[in-house]
Amino acid sequence: MEELLREYLPILVFLVVAVGLGLVLILAAVVLAVRNPDPEKVSAYECGFNAFDDARMKFDVRFYLVAILFIIFDLEIAFLFPWAVGFKDMSDAGFWSMMVFLAVLTVGFAYEWKKGALEWE
Amino acid sequence: MMQADLTVILPEIVLAVYAMLALIGAVYSSRDDLAPALVWLTTAVMAGLAVWIATGTGGTRIAFGGMFIDDGFARFSKVAILVSAAVVLVMSQDYMSRRGILRFEYPILVALTSVGMMVMVSAGDLMSLYMGLELHSLALYVVAALRRDNVKSTEAGLKYFVLGALSSGLLLYGASLVYGYAGTTVFAGIVQTVSQDDLSLGLLFGLVFLISGIAFKVSAVPFHMWTPDVYEGSPTPVTAFFATAPKLAAMAMLARILYDAFGGISGDWGQVLALLSLLSMFLGAVAGIAQRDIKRLMAYSSIAHMGYALMGLAAGTEFGVQAMLIYMAIYITMNVGTFAFILMMERDGRPVTDIRALNLYARREPGKALAMLILLFSLAGVPPMLGFFGKFYVLRAAYEGGLIWLAVAGVIASVIGAFYYIRIVYYMYFGDEGEELDTRSSPALWGALMACAAAMILGIVNMFGVEAAAAAAAATLVN
Amino acid sequence: METVILFGPLVGAIICGFGYKLIGERAALWTATGLLFLACLLSWIVFFTFDGATQQIPVLRYIESGSLATEWAIRMDRLTAIMLIVVTTVSAFVHLYSFGYMDNDPQWKEGESYKPRFFAYLSLFTFAMLLLVTSDNLVQLFTGWEGVGVASYLLIGFYYRKPSANAAAIKAFVVNRIGDFGFALGIFALFFLVDSINLDVIFGQAPELADTRLTFLWGEWNAANLVAFLLFVGAMGKSAQLILHTWLPDAMEGPTPVSALIHAATMVTAGVFLVCRMSPLMEFAPQATAFITVIGAATAFFAATVGLVQTDIKRVIAYSTCSQLGYMFVAAGVGMYSAAMFHLFTHAFFKALLFLGAGSVIHAMHHEQEMTEYGGLRKKIPYTFWAMMIGTLAITGVGIPLTSIGFAGFLSKDAIIESAWAGGSGFGFWALVIAAGMTSFYSWRLIFLTFFGEPRGDRHAHDHAHESPMSMLIPLGVLSLGAVFSGMIWYGSFFGHADQVGRFYGIPVAEAAADAAVAHDEATGGEAAEQGHGAAAGGEAAAAGEHHAAFAGKPGEGALYFAPDNHVLDDAHAAPAWVKVSPFVAMILGLAIAVWFYLVNPALPARLAENQRPLYLFLKNKWYFDEIYDAVFVRPVIGLGRVFWKRGDGSAIDGFLNGVAMGVVPFFTRLAGKAQTGFIFTYAFWMVLGIVALVTWMSIGGGAQ
Repeated sequence: MEELLREYLPILVFLVVAVGLGLVLILAAVVLAVRNPDPEKVSAYECGFNAFDDARMKFDVRFYLVAILFIIFDLEIAFLFPWAVGFKDMSDAGFWSMMVFLAVLTVGFAYEWKKGALEWE
Repeated sequence: MMQADLTVILPEIVLAVYAMLALIGAVYSSRDDLAPALVWLTTAVMAGLAVWIATGTGGTRIAFGGMFIDDGFARFSKVAILVSAAVVLVMSQDYMSRRGILRFEYPILVALTSVGMMVMVSAGDLMSLYMGLELHSLALYVVAALRRDNVKSTEAGLKYFVLGALSSGLLLYGASLVYGYAGTTVFAGIVQTVSQDDLSLGLLFGLVFLISGIAFKVSAVPFHMWTPDVYEGSPTPVTAFFATAPKLAAMAMLARILYDAFGGISGDWGQVLALLSLLSMFLGAVAGIAQRDIKRLMAYSSIAHMGYALMGLAAGTEFGVQAMLIYMAIYITMNVGTFAFILMMERDGRPVTDIRALNLYARREPGKALAMLILLFSLAGVPPMLGFFGKFYVLRAAYEGGLIWLAVAGVIASVIGAFYYIRIVYYMYFGDEGEELDTRSSPALWGALMACAAAMILGIVNMFGVEAAAAAAAATLVN
Repeated sequence: METVILFGPLVGAIICGFGYKLIGERAALWTATGLLFLACLLSWIVFFTFDGATQQIPVLRYIESGSLATEWAIRMDRLTAIMLIVVTTVSAFVHLYSFGYMDNDPQWKEGESYKPRFFAYLSLFTFAMLLLVTSDNLVQLFTGWEGVGVASYLLIGFYYRKPSANAAAIKAFVVNRIGDFGFALGIFALFFLVDSINLDVIFGQAPELADTRLTFLWGEWNAANLVAFLLFVGAMGKSAQLILHTWLPDAMEGPTPVSALIHAATMVTAGVFLVCRMSPLMEFAPQATAFITVIGAATAFFAATVGLVQTDIKRVIAYSTCSQLGYMFVAAGVGMYSAAMFHLFTHAFFKALLFLGAGSVIHAMHHEQEMTEYGGLRKKIPYTFWAMMIGTLAITGVGIPLTSIGFAGFLSKDAIIESAWAGGSGFGFWALVIAAGMTSFYSWRLIFLTFFGEPRGDRHAHDHAHESPMSMLIPLGVLSLGAVFSGMIWYGSFFGHADQVGRFYGIPVAEAAADAAVAHDEATGGEAAEQGHGAAAGGEAAAAGEHHAAFAGKPGEGALYFAPDNHVLDDAHAAPAWVKVSPFVAMILGLAIAVWFYLVNPALPARLAENQRPLYLFLKNKWYFDEIYDAVFVRPVIGLGRVFWKRGDGSAIDGFLNGVAMGVVPFFTRLAGKAQTGFIFTYAFWMVLGIVALVTWMSIGGGAQ
């Protein structure tokens, strides 16, 4: 058990660093930022949201769609990175596995494209 | 090596590739009337696969380093899944196309969820198990909300999705606990670290979470709450689908993980299953009484039936697994027939689900009413219908497994549950005069209803060989 | 062939009962009757070609459960062959007879179809009876036993619009149930003891049973005696022996053909058949057989006394049946099974004849059954009169004493009476002789009241009295032949010398010279036997008689079993002449009194009844059996039943169940309904709650360390 947990030490370190970094950045903003608001800065963004408002508000369902589609390809990247890093030591099976994965993803992509999910209007 | 692995999962690959090709082909085709053709094509493909698997090589084959197991148990389940999915698909067509909700995605989603289920029952590793489960679930979330302009249907889809995500979370949490304490995700590895004498609490927690996650899929109490709402809200053909193949797949997956990964501590999970079984049987029986909507009623009915199937599993014996498989096979047949009847319930072309609408149905449609009567009696477990023998098997398994109290409770619950089945019979044969239902029926639905009803009677001879097949399947799993 | 005999009537019953609307009433009736005649023909062929060796003909797998494993098989031996011809012959002719008798039955309105139902029941009964007599194991036998019970119930209550018929049907069924309970216990005990219900196995182990003790109720008993007794209790019910006899007279509510077939010729003899069938066991149960003898003799006597004063023509014959069954049991009780079967065989002919004759009279008199309304019918219905005369001559036992020439009843009844004497049962012997006298009296009384003297009662009925149609007269004729000749033809086979009887039943026979015990008998009684029956058996039999053989079979070999120390047959043949003549003297006496009472001085019976009023009422009311049973059993049981019904069933069980079904379950239903709020967070909450509960339970109670 000890042995097993020790293997997770890097993850623990990573967690600490991530939390620490997040805190540092937020605090840094509080400490270092220059506060000089003007009407242009506090007006709504292009997407139509107010800069300061309740987080639990209704907004267009199309954002979800885009977000979901984005996440899928985001995940694809997450898979591709380690694959690419280890590409040199990879067997044929590893190569073709990713190709199959990409092909399946492409099928989905082709479907949503044709269905018009990528068009805003 | 790779070659050999791929041969083992060839049926799954074929179905998946078919689904993708069909998707691309359909979406790029300019024709609108593609959906009915696709339904038939998908049915044919799935039926062909079922025949292929059923007549294929025997023995146990393991692929991908233990992640995928193709044995008698998996083949039994796959054949049942494919056949029932195909039948339900055929039954859907008429109903859906007349209501304009038959999109070409529907058969493809059914094919994809079938792939997921096939992976589930063949899984030999927590990861492949989860993969199959998610593929299966995601497709189901979508078909639940197939009628997206309908509030109830979208509500059903959303509820199912959110709660399904929660249950997936539970399952994943359990899986990670098991991995953490066992050091591996392969069932064959887990089973070596799990033993009665030296069982860590973490593993036990992991097991409980895993069971809970799967219990959601089989809709066992208290993870059943989604069932009535989703059954009611989904389009009826989808409900029919929910009630059949996925239940068997989840049940088989549960059996697979419990025996392959936790076979050494059957005493522990036996207790958990016995409790779930007890609660399911009673809640299914008691809560169903209040239902007027036949789809909600069937939801509670399936909750109760899952309780009985769990009873077989809880016995922790080879005979228990056999009993569970027999029970599920019979359950699926009964549900296919019953839903075929429900799909035919309509007035002026619109579906009706209130059971009081069946007033004196027997006078106008004696044949269909009789078939429904047989199915309902079978659901209630009245001998000599097949449903009785299903119950008999699980009760015997529980008795032989030492769970006499559970068997007694099962009998009591079945008495309570019989009420709502027989009430429908009452409405059909003795009810008051009221507005009449249409007498229209499509050949596919009529055929399915009659065939299932006939099977309930004729099956008592030798259960069409299911008994022996289930025995062989159980033997490969338990040993 | 045996299978055709067995299933023919069943097929007939099904076609006739269910198919008559399809194929028409006439065709249905003829199908049932035709199949019965076919079965009858085949039965006679089987009977004559049968070589005496027991064989089993498997029909199908029957029961397999643990060590209880048996096949449904036809056991073909002499006993079965005899019963086959009795059952199918009488049944076939009763079917034919029913065409006439059941025509235009006043119980039914114009256009109502009741005959197919009647014929189907008759055929069903025949099938059940054949099932009973062909059975190779006790459960199969019991199935047939209950089957005839059901058919009997259905047929007694055939006139279901008559409350009395329904009551009689229920009475028959309930009284039989008491006997059947004993029978069932006997079967259980046998299975418990020998772990099988197959007759062969049971017979093989019969000697060991005699040395086994069995605990039952309050004490320990000899297993063989106990089992034999329990089986006899079943026989008592079915064969209407004393104590359980009350249903038989009431069963006369059924149509007369039914009385002839079921309640005279076949079903009621099932008890006798059972005792004979179980002879290998009975031979090892001396106390039980002694009991059988006493009960049989008492019944013969009792029923004869009651028969003296009855005025309903069918009831007289019913009591006569009861009495004759007593004779058979006496024979079986003293170990002379072949004599019991002999009487069963002959009785079937002459009693069926009497009943069918009575039916013919009733038919002629427009369903009037009181003999006080008859009189002088000899001229009106001559054929029926002669048939009844033959029946009466047979039952009263008319023949030439000390020879074997006479009517059927003469030979078989005398055989029983001689056996009773030889079996050492003084009570049995005297009871039977007196009963024979009374039999003669009431039988002749019936004839004189019905056919002689002045017409009494409704003038109109007498004017319109008419001879029955051909379909009714043919059976009377055929049965008359049986009543005359069946005794003389088969005397040697049933009651001849040991080697004849042995050959007939397939029992191995040893030379008597080798057996010291039999040699003794030979010395004392051999000559008398030669004198008495040498002529009877004819040339061949006389030659065979020289050998002086003795039975030497093991239990289960052959159709019957006689223990090595059973010398009743030889002793009976060696009985003194006065024993052999006594039943004849009794018969003559009975005839003389009947002539004096009903022909010479018709006013005398009424005066006698007036003088001896208590005795008359005692007999008239059947020794008050029904009244005693009513007070002792029926009323208390009905009272108890009422308590159980009102209190137990009504208050306790219904109350409890209604409470659960209408109170507790709906409460939980509402609760479950409330939990189903429709909000996702409630659902999720329940899931989390569930998992918390499971985890807690597992961590406390689970197997983890």
